[in-house]
Amino acid sequence: MNENEKRKYIKGRKLGEGTYANVYLGQLRTDPAVLVAIKKMKVQREQDGIAYDAVRELKFLQELHHPNIVELLSVFNSKDQNLNLVLEYLPLGDLESLIRDTDRVRYGAADIKAWMGMLTRAVWFCHDNFVLHRDIKPNNLLIAADGEVKLADFGLARSFADPGVNMTHMVITRWYRPPELLFGCRSYSGAVDVWSVGLVFAELIIRTPFLPGNSEVDQINRICQAIGTPTEDNWPGVSSLRSYAVPAEVYPVPDKKAWMDRFGGVGAEGVDLLCKTLVLDPNKRITAREMLEHRWWRTDPKPTRKEDLPRSKDDGAKKMGADLGRRPGAVEDENRGSKVARRLDFGAK
Amino acid sequence: MAAEDARYRQSSQYRLWSFSPVELATLREKSNALAKASISERMLSSNASRPASGANTPDGDATPTLPEFLTPTEEALLVTFYTSEVLRAGNHAGYRDAIKATAAVFFRRFYVTNSIMTYPPNDMVLVTLFLANKAEANFVNIGEFANKFGKKNAESILAGEFLLCQALRFAFDVKHPFRALKGAVMALRRIGGIDDKRINAAEHRAHEILCFSPLMTDAYFHYTPSQIMLAALSLADRGLVEQLIADTFHHVSPPGTSGPGTPMETGDAPPPPRRDTKSEDKATIIGAWIRDKVLGTIEACRDMLSKELPEERREHWASQDVFAAELKPLRKKLNKCRDPDRSNLLELHRRRREQARIKAETEDDDAEDRGAALADDGAVFGDAGPRDTKRRKVGKGLEDPFGGPL
Ligand SMILES: Nc1ncnc2c1ncn2[C@@H]1O[C@H](COP(=O)(O)OP(=O)(O)OP(=O)(O)O)[C@@H](O)[C@H]1O
Repeated sequence: MNENEKRKYIKGRKLGEGTYANVYLGQLRTDPAVLVAIKKMKVQREQDGIAYDAVRELKFLQELHHPNIVELLSVFNSKDQNLNLVLEYLPLGDLESLIRDTDRVRYGAADIKAWMGMLTRAVWFCHDNFVLHRDIKPNNLLIAADGEVKLADFGLARSFADPGVNMTHMVITRWYRPPELLFGCRSYSGAVDVWSVGLVFAELIIRTPFLPGNSEVDQINRICQAIGTPTEDNWPGVSSLRSYAVPAEVYPVPDKKAWMDRFGGVGAEGVDLLCKTLVLDPNKRITAREMLEHRWWRTDPKPTRKEDLPRSKDDGAKKMGADLGRRPGAVEDENRGSKVARRLDFGAK
Repeated sequence: MAAEDARYRQSSQYRLWSFSPVELATLREKSNALAKASISERMLSSNASRPASGANTPDGDATPTLPEFLTPTEEALLVTFYTSEVLRAGNHAGYRDAIKATAAVFFRRFYVTNSIMTYPPNDMVLVTLFLANKAEANFVNIGEFANKFGKKNAESILAGEFLLCQALRFAFDVKHPFRALKGAVMALRRIGGIDDKRINAAEHRAHEILCFSPLMTDAYFHYTPSQIMLAALSLADRGLVEQLIADTFHHVSPPGTSGPGTPMETGDAPPPPRRDTKSEDKATIIGAWIRDKVLGTIEACRDMLSKELPEERREHWASQDVFAAELKPLRKKLNKCRDPDRSNLLELHRRRREQARIKAETEDDDAEDRGAALADDGAVFGDAGPRDTKRRKVGKGLEDPFGGPL
């Protein structure tokens, strides 16, 4: 028991690198077929103590247990006092690589509906637990062996603030950042994540980032041109936000037809949902809960079963499948997954 | 409420930090006994290795005598006193209620599995307050933080931080009753016919109680946030809680049918579950049964909170007389029996760092990355909870940078 606990994992090759962590493949020593991801926080500057990112990620992953949120299995510290987070292993890459691989990966409305369903459930669950993710984007949406999409990277997350408590507006990767944050608003809600979800939705449809601004000013300009200029008419109070500034030319909010022309691939109901996530005024934007109640999910086509979703044609993912000696997503993977979870749970009943 | 409870059971507060009174007492007794044993061992061995003529051995060549150790009851009293210090320090710095409350909870959790004789409570007061700021998303600069409390250097705070994280088992989310109080106040307003002044007065008093009483007692270990909130509200105005409960249990659905309910669990995306009228009928019957159970729990929690009402802060914990009579002797005793090896966090931290450095130099760090075992890495938590009596045994095999839990 003691011995198992001590040498539970074998660390393997590096899977990826983020701004504040390196991620490695890991194996359970007692059962090398059980794979995990080990996220090793980079050495921190001594004077800051434990990094805020690590505190935030741990704080939320400890609490959020949901099929569409990456599962934290364990935590340990290495001899150099670095934190290591043991996460469920998500071998099939992320949504970004699927979106980008236009040559080899084909997908349709039913697939988008399945991916969006999983993303929306994850975001609803966060918000229902009073957690803002604040960095939703395609490459933070990782894919499990069975095709399930999992929201990852809670390094920027925080709990909903009480009214009157200011939060930083310097969150969310620029292309996915909502206008209220670009205007310096410091008291915001789950609507910031919903905007990001909307942009992921748009990107899934057109297979290229919808609003790839190259600066904050450019980002605002793009929003104005594509979605309309925020004004007191469509967003009461907007002009008193701290850094409210819009181009001189006032762009109208585009009509349904303009949206249909560009995003019609997901049908009229899909476009309706998309528009509602990209409403300028955060108070009028649809909530994650309301998204789940939208008619689109129940109109044809039905969302693709996760096992049948298109997969990355990346070498990495292919090799991974070969390593395992079976097709990724085979039924036994699912059993394996639940086995890992059982073995490594925190003792919850 | 049932739905809330189902959600609560997923929380680290429930999974890792909820105990029955007996379990909690056992854990504390164990921490006390282990501290006594290891401190004795250390004192004896350092005495033995010292030449008989050495300084600091007032007894000369006589067999070294061990000091009198704190009893678990004395430790508990000191932990509570220092919890009041955490709150006082938080007030001094002007932190939000949630930050102070989180710090107090961190502090009490830390001393469930660690003895106050092992790690100096004075230092841990600031360490918990510092980490609570991070956990509650309030950015603080460590230098400014230390300055606020008249500390010239911040190192001892950072030295304790990792130690605290480990003791907390890297669970930084504390579920407080503040949000539940707001919900209750809204529900009371919805009932209608209750004087707004009365509601406001009760809210104010309950909030004041929540900022002190549950933090100074073991309430967070035994009760859910809504139970604590209702207990505090009933101390403020019992009648309001009765109305609230009567109102709530009229509507509650039977247990088992009201889980948090993830909409769209399947790809088919059905809308979120709705209540049907049949279960509504059943609810009124089962509701009465739950109501009585809930009332009993709230009553017990209320008793606990009433032992540390906010007035105690002034009348008891800040009183010079009480301090001189009850706490000073204990602090004196603590000074004599504290762990000679760990009472200085900074020294301890330096020593461990140095050891880690030497180790790192003698080992090829790349080996680790190439698939060698994480043999020296300590799994801070696996499947053994603090409930698990084997936990400390497990801990012994780990490489705790501070030398193992005890
Ligand atoms: N559970 C996992 N399974 C497989 N690969 C993973 C997993 N978690 C992370 N990775 C890989 O490691 C990379 C970095 O991880 P992650 O994004 O969590 O780090 P980060 O420092 O938070 O990154 P960012 O710079 O995006 O904030 C990811 O892009 C992904 O390729």
